[in-house]
Amino acid sequence: MASPVPVKEKKLMEVKLGELPGWILMQDFTPKGIAGAFQRGYYRYYNKYINVKKGGFAGISMVLAAYVLFNYCHSYKELKHERLRKYH
Amino acid sequence: MNENLFASFAAPSMMGLPIVVLIVMFPSILFPTPNRLINNRLISIQQWLIQLTSKQMLAIHNQKGRTWALMLMSLILFIGSTNLLGLLPHSFTPTTQLSMNLGMAIPLWAGTVITGFRYKTKASLAHFLPQGTPLPLIPMLVVIETISLFIQPMALAVRLTANITAGHLLIHLIGGATLALINISATTAFITFIILILLTILEFAVALIQAYVFTLLVSLYLHDNT
Repeated sequence: MASPVPVKEKKLMEVKLGELPGWILMQDFTPKGIAGAFQRGYYRYYNKYINVKKGGFAGISMVLAAYVLFNYCHSYKELKHERLRKYH
Repeated sequence: MNENLFASFAAPSMMGLPIVVLIVMFPSILFPTPNRLINNRLISIQQWLIQLTSKQMLAIHNQKGRTWALMLMSLILFIGSTNLLGLLPHSFTPTTQLSMNLGMAIPLWAGTVITGFRYKTKASLAHFLPQGTPLPLIPMLVVIETISLFIQPMALAVRLTANITAGHLLIHLIGGATLALINISATTAFITFIILILLTILEFAVALIQAYVFTLLVSLYLHDNT
């Protein structure tokens, strides 16, 4: 695994599969690092879909769909009793 | 069925952690801050709506009342967006919880009353007695006006809670009825489905109207007291 660029600084798509566990362990898990990750993710989505001159409905509808999915997963436990099955 | 009906109103928590905090903070993501002269489409639309609403809402206030502009606008945005998000399937609406509505209503109402008592003490006290009451009725009327003053925050909170909760409950019930009727009689199921569609349209309107009413009443109490 001798590569010219140190493993820690590579982006996810450039990390080789064998180096993956090492890469995951070397990531920054401090609160500041996690906050930074959320911030980068937010701005990546925001600048791609919303912060454009002619944004459409798709930008916010993806967020709302993810919100619906999150709530569905969270209330799955109560919902599974309402399926149409003979034995619950 | 009975337990299921009210399960959707329980405050969500994941392994003991209250994620209701996350759900209350979620609408804020949908309103990005404008940081340019000409913004993207979403922010421009929101800016236009906010300007329209604020002009309408702050027209009746004097200089002192207009210091509350930020509070009133964020109030109507928060309640409106929270109510509208609650219409999405499976979502949790924080405004169905009486605790939250009381937490919004009581401090705002108290703020208006205390402002009135601090800056215009005589006029605020004079509100307790309408003009032109006959002399023997005065003690009783003061008591009645005091009671009606103290009921204002309760009415604000309970009105919002009851309206939104009732709407959600009706949607659950009529939706369940439609599903149950499909196997029995398709026509009745279809009629019930039409009722469901009308109810959903009503709920969209109610979501916005309740936000407006809440904010309008707070602004009215403010107007009385500044």
